[in-house]
Amino acid sequence: MNESEKWDRLFKEALASTAEPDEELNERMLNRIKERSRRMPVFRKRISIAVLVAVCTLVMSITAVAATQFFNPKQVAEHLGKDILAKAFESKDAIEINQTVASGDYSYTLHGIVSGAGLEEMNSSAQTVNPARTYAVLSITRQDGKPMPATSDAEYGKVPFFVSPLIKGQKPWQVNIMTMHGGYSETVIDGIMYRLIECDGLEMFADRGVYLAVSSGESFYNSEAFAYNESTGEVKPNADYKGTSILFDLPLDKAKADHAKAEAYLKKMRNEPSPKTGADPETASNDAEADMVKKMDELKNKIPDGEIIPESVKEVTYDDLGRAIYEYDGWKSALSVDMLFTEGQTGYSDAVQFSEANGNYMALQFARDEKGVITGRVINLK
Amino acid sequence: MDIEALGNLVQLHGKAIYGFCYKLAGNKADTDDLYQETFLKAIEVRHKLDASQNPKGFLISIAVGLRKNNRRKWARRQRIAPIAELNEAVDKHSWPYSNETPEDAVLSQELRGMIQAAADRLDDRLRIPLYMHYTAEMSIDEVASALRIPSGTVKSRLSRAREAVKKMLEVESL
Repeated sequence: MNESEKWDRLFKEALASTAEPDEELNERMLNRIKERSRRMPVFRKRISIAVLVAVCTLVMSITAVAATQFFNPKQVAEHLGKDILAKAFESKDAIEINQTVASGDYSYTLHGIVSGAGLEEMNSSAQTVNPARTYAVLSITRQDGKPMPATSDAEYGKVPFFVSPLIKGQKPWQVNIMTMHGGYSETVIDGIMYRLIECDGLEMFADRGVYLAVSSGESFYNSEAFAYNESTGEVKPNADYKGTSILFDLPLDKAKADHAKAEAYLKKMRNEPSPKTGADPETASNDAEADMVKKMDELKNKIPDGEIIPESVKEVTYDDLGRAIYEYDGWKSALSVDMLFTEGQTGYSDAVQFSEANGNYMALQFARDEKGVITGRVINLK
Repeated sequence: MDIEALGNLVQLHGKAIYGFCYKLAGNKADTDDLYQETFLKAIEVRHKLDASQNPKGFLISIAVGLRKNNRRKWARRQRIAPIAELNEAVDKHSWPYSNETPEDAVLSQELRGMIQAAADRLDDRLRIPLYMHYTAEMSIDEVASALRIPSGTVKSRLSRAREAVKKMLEVESL
């Protein structure tokens, strides 16, 4: 074994990792993937076929513009591979709406809604518990005429939309698509985004008043987008909200309302663990992240009132890799300069390190002057 | 690729991907995140994964991409994990090869820690191929394909990484 081979072996042994994912993590991850796949399948192959169909239609019936511009709910369901549901959208139980509202940069059209049991080939666990489901198709287009990004496009999903039924008299942050075992499938056909939402049956609430809420900027219910009046039970869009915030009234058949069933459903829902309490790993992870960010923000806010340790203020040195090296009283930091400052940035860096000992927090902060000299300082946070 | 196929992929390559993520992230919480994000991203771009002849390399390249994209996020987290600890580990131990040749040396726990700590201090351009090759046990060609760089560049970066680590160890022993 020559010298090089020996070093190779040494590196292999030293850098081998003993860290393993635990079973629980794998299980949690696969569940997240299953849930995501159920909620938002990506239909690339179908999209390309759909585009071809759309192009052919355009060539063959070039005068029929407005009427054939949108795919109807049946066609959308077909494109999403839901043939039984597609037929249901043609049935007498389906409600055709075709109402368009422009808001912000987008136009939203609620095409139609249908409720019933067994409308999908593949029953999800939610359907086993609540067989009656409601489905609605909404389309989103850009007001400037540009196409919505295709699902294969990197821009896809960058502007998230929340589309959810809300029940009059029920707190919208408590009763919405997430808590009603809902989800959605989405596809972009010919620059128009179609979202098929589904959730537990809404007809039982028909006598109360049911809205379909649409907001942009968040995938979840956003209390900045809507205002809930606790005394009247009405939900209204917040006029001050910068993104989209609209409500469609769902014209459900009041004869199908079932007050007792709805009450029992709501009671059961209230007893179920809320997704916000950590049942959903994604939310839990976001909460943990949010807590950490909050903690760091709290510490950052203490910096102006902190006490700079005079001996700690010194210029950084640089190692062979070009990283800024700072060392004070056992606190050593080696960070690349572009992690500390954006190009041309002077003044204090946004990147602050914190250290804690016996409940006492210290911050390490860097500053760069106009000559490019970087200094570090340790601040005792009170 | 369906969920079952993905489950098989997790069984087959999960350990290697997790080990690699751990090297990049440096702690369990961030590793768990990066590992999960890697597979979630893989599902999003599964058409590419299906076509890939080397799923492990493909997953590793996703992890590298995510880590780069989220560098500020990971960096923000690392700020509360004191880097001093790693340096301290290096400082406490002298380089045993000063009196011994590598042939005689037994790779002790301490030495592993020293090499790990030194590797962790490398720039990403050298560090990532090093972990891909030694931690994820990818061949030079696999690393080249995953990083979309020529094999010669991978060889050169690995060589520079090894030299840089050796140099750091020598400096520490002075």
